[in-house]
Amino acid sequence: MVLEIIVMIKQVPDSQEVVIDPVTFTLNRGAARNVINPADENAIEAALRIKDKTGAHITVITMGPPFAESALIDCMSRGVDDAVLVTDRAFAGADTYPTGLTLASTIKKLGKYDIIFAGEESTDSSTGHVGPGVAEFLGTDQASYTSESWYEDGFVYAKRELEEGTEIVKMKPPTLITVLTNANDPRRATLRKKIDAMKKGIKTMTLADLGMPPEWVGLRGSPTVVKSMRTIDEKKREGKKFKIEEIPKLVDELIEKKIISI
Amino acid sequence: MSEFDVIIVGAGPAGASAAIKLAGAGSSVLLVERGDPPGSKNVSGGVLWGDSLGSVAPDWEKAAPMERYVEAKGVSFLTKDSKISIDFRSKKLQERRSGYTVLRTKLDGWLSKKAKDAGAMVASGITVDKLAFKDDRVIGVEQDGDIITSDIVILAEGANPRVAINSGIRERLKDRDVAIGVKEIIKLPEKTINERFNLTSSKMGFASEYVLGFLEGGVKAGGFIYTNKESISLGLVISMKEMRQNNNTRSFDLIEQFKEHPYIAPLIDGGRVDEYSAHMVQEGGLKSVPQLYGNGFMVVGDGAGFSFSNGMVLQGMNYAIASGIAAAESAIKAKIKSNFTMEGLSSYEERLKSSFVLQDLMNFKGIEEVTWSDMIHRGIPNMSEELFLSLFSENGQPKAHMINLLIRAMGHSDVPRKDMVINMYRMLRRM
Repeated sequence: MVLEIIVMIKQVPDSQEVVIDPVTFTLNRGAARNVINPADENAIEAALRIKDKTGAHITVITMGPPFAESALIDCMSRGVDDAVLVTDRAFAGADTYPTGLTLASTIKKLGKYDIIFAGEESTDSSTGHVGPGVAEFLGTDQASYTSESWYEDGFVYAKRELEEGTEIVKMKPPTLITVLTNANDPRRATLRKKIDAMKKGIKTMTLADLGMPPEWVGLRGSPTVVKSMRTIDEKKREGKKFKIEEIPKLVDELIEKKIISI
Repeated sequence: MSEFDVIIVGAGPAGASAAIKLAGAGSSVLLVERGDPPGSKNVSGGVLWGDSLGSVAPDWEKAAPMERYVEAKGVSFLTKDSKISIDFRSKKLQERRSGYTVLRTKLDGWLSKKAKDAGAMVASGITVDKLAFKDDRVIGVEQDGDIITSDIVILAEGANPRVAINSGIRERLKDRDVAIGVKEIIKLPEKTINERFNLTSSKMGFASEYVLGFLEGGVKAGGFIYTNKESISLGLVISMKEMRQNNNTRSFDLIEQFKEHPYIAPLIDGGRVDEYSAHMVQEGGLKSVPQLYGNGFMVVGDGAGFSFSNGMVLQGMNYAIASGIAAAESAIKAKIKSNFTMEGLSSYEERLKSSFVLQDLMNFKGIEEVTWSDMIHRGIPNMSEELFLSLFSENGQPKAHMINLLIRAMGHSDVPRKDMVINMYRMLRRM
C-alpha cells in the first residue's frame, strides 16, 4: 500500500522585497515577488525524503489566488506527484481558523492521508496556527517544530527541537508534522520534472467542490478582528562617508563619540 | 523522434524573440531560463534601439512595457572639473527611429509571456548544464543528469556563455572579450526627472554615454545615464583588461566616483538606489564572435558576441532580437527540409551577414581599440577642456587664433600631439 503524503504550502511575498506603504502603513505586497513560504520549502523537502525511501505519493495543496499555480508547479518540479489549488472568491479575507478548516476539508475530500506536512509558520503573518489547526480539525496526532522525520515499520517518527533539548516522537498515521525553517536543504527543481509538471498541470477545487457552507469560510468565517495597527518609525541614523585613506580620522571620531575605546 | 522541435536556452530578448517566432510558426518550443521569473537575472544598460521587435510583436510600441522614447541623446566627456557634451535633441529622431529606455525585469517578463501565449513551454528557474551530443550532433540539452531532446538547440544564454563553454563548442572567454558593467537604478519622481533632464513630457527620454576621463588612477571606463519613467539607470562599463591592470580598482568604487562628479551628482540628488547589479558585457567585437552554428545548434545574442559600442552608442538588445529571429527563421526552414545538420542551418549565417547584425561588426572592426584608447579617455577630454576654457573665459589678454588654441590645448593632455593626430585619423576611418 502506497503511503499518502499531503504537504500544505502558502505563497508569500518575498520578505526581502516587501515595503511598507508610507501613507497607509500597510504592507505593500504588490511590489514584491511571490515565493513559496520558506518553511514550506522545508516541509516539501521533508516529504520528498520520505518519498525517496518509501515511494510515497505526495500531493501538495494550497489555498490561494489563481496565480499560486506557479508555486504548485514549482513543487511538482522537485518531485511532488500532484497539486491541488483550493481557490474561490469566498475564501478571501480568511484568518487562520477558516483557513485551517478549508484545508482540512480539502484533505478529507482527497481521500486517504497518512502524513500531512506543513511549514512551522508563514513569513507574512507568523502565527503558526494553520498546521496545528488542521490536525485539530481532522483529529490526528501532531508533532510541531520538527527538524527531521522518517517512516519506519508503520510508524512516523519526528524529531522536535525544544528549548531544553530534542524530543523524538513516535506516532501512528495519520499524523501532522510542522517543519522548522532551515530544517533541511531543499532540493532544486529539475528540467525533466518541470516539463512533466507543466504537461500534467494542477487540479483546482472551489467552495462548491468542498461542499462547505459559505459562512464557514473567508472573512465571514473569521473570528479575528484587527482593532488597530501601528508601525514603528525607522530611526534616522546620522551617516557620514570616509575615504580609505581617512580611516585614522574615522577611528578618532568613533573614539570621540565613545562608540569604541582603545 | 525528439521531444521538442527546438529548445532555447535563455529567455532574454534573443531567446524569447526566437521562441515567439518559432511557436507562432507552429513549432514545439521549450524555452529554459535560469531566472525565476524570466527577466529577474537579466541586466543591460537599458535602451532598446530600433524596431527589431516589430517582426515578432507588431504592436510592441504600444503593448510592451517601454519606459521613455529617446528624443534627447548625449555624449559627454568628463574631466575632474568639467563636462564637455553634445546634447542632441530633435523632433526628427522619432521619425528616423531611435530607441526606448526599458527595465529588463519588465520587458523580459513581457516577452516570455508573449512566448508562452504563442504556445512555447517556458521553464524558468532552471539552469541547463550542457548540450547533449550524439556523435557529432547536438540532440538536446542535459540538466541534472536528464537529457531533454530536440531537433535544434538555440543557445541564447547571454554574455556569460557557460553552456557553450561546458559543451566544448567555444573557448573560455579571454580578458579582451569582456568588460564588466555595473549599474544602479535610482528612483526619482517623474516630475523631477523631467525637470532635471529638460524633458517636456514623461514620454520623452534622455540617454547619454559618458567618457569618464577623471577616474582615480587613470582607469578607463565608459558611463551611461538613461531616464526611465520614474527612475534613472546609471552605470559604467570597464574592460577586464583595465581591471587587471589597475589592481586596486573596484567597480563599485568607480560608480561612486561617477555619481559624485560635480555635474552628475545634481542629476541624481535625493534619489534612492532601488536596484544594483553587475553583469558581463561582450566587448571583443568581430574577433570574439564564436562558431555561430553547427550540427543541431545555433548561437544568438550576447552569447554570440553580438553587441556594439563605438563610444557614441551602446547597443545589444536590438542585435539580440534580430539574431534570435534570424535563428528562428533558419530553424523553420530546416524543419521543412528535415535537415538539422550544419549545412541545413547554414542560412542562419547568411541571414546575419545580410543584416545589420554582422555588417555592423564587420564595418566597425577594431573599433574597440579606439574606444579604449588613451586618446579618447584622456587626450580629447583634457584638450577640449583647455580649448573651451580659453574660448569661454575672459581675462583681459589678447585673444589667440583658434588653431593656436587647439595646438596649445593638445599640450594639456598626457597623450603626445603626434599620437593624437594619428589616432584621430584612425578613429574617423574606423567609424
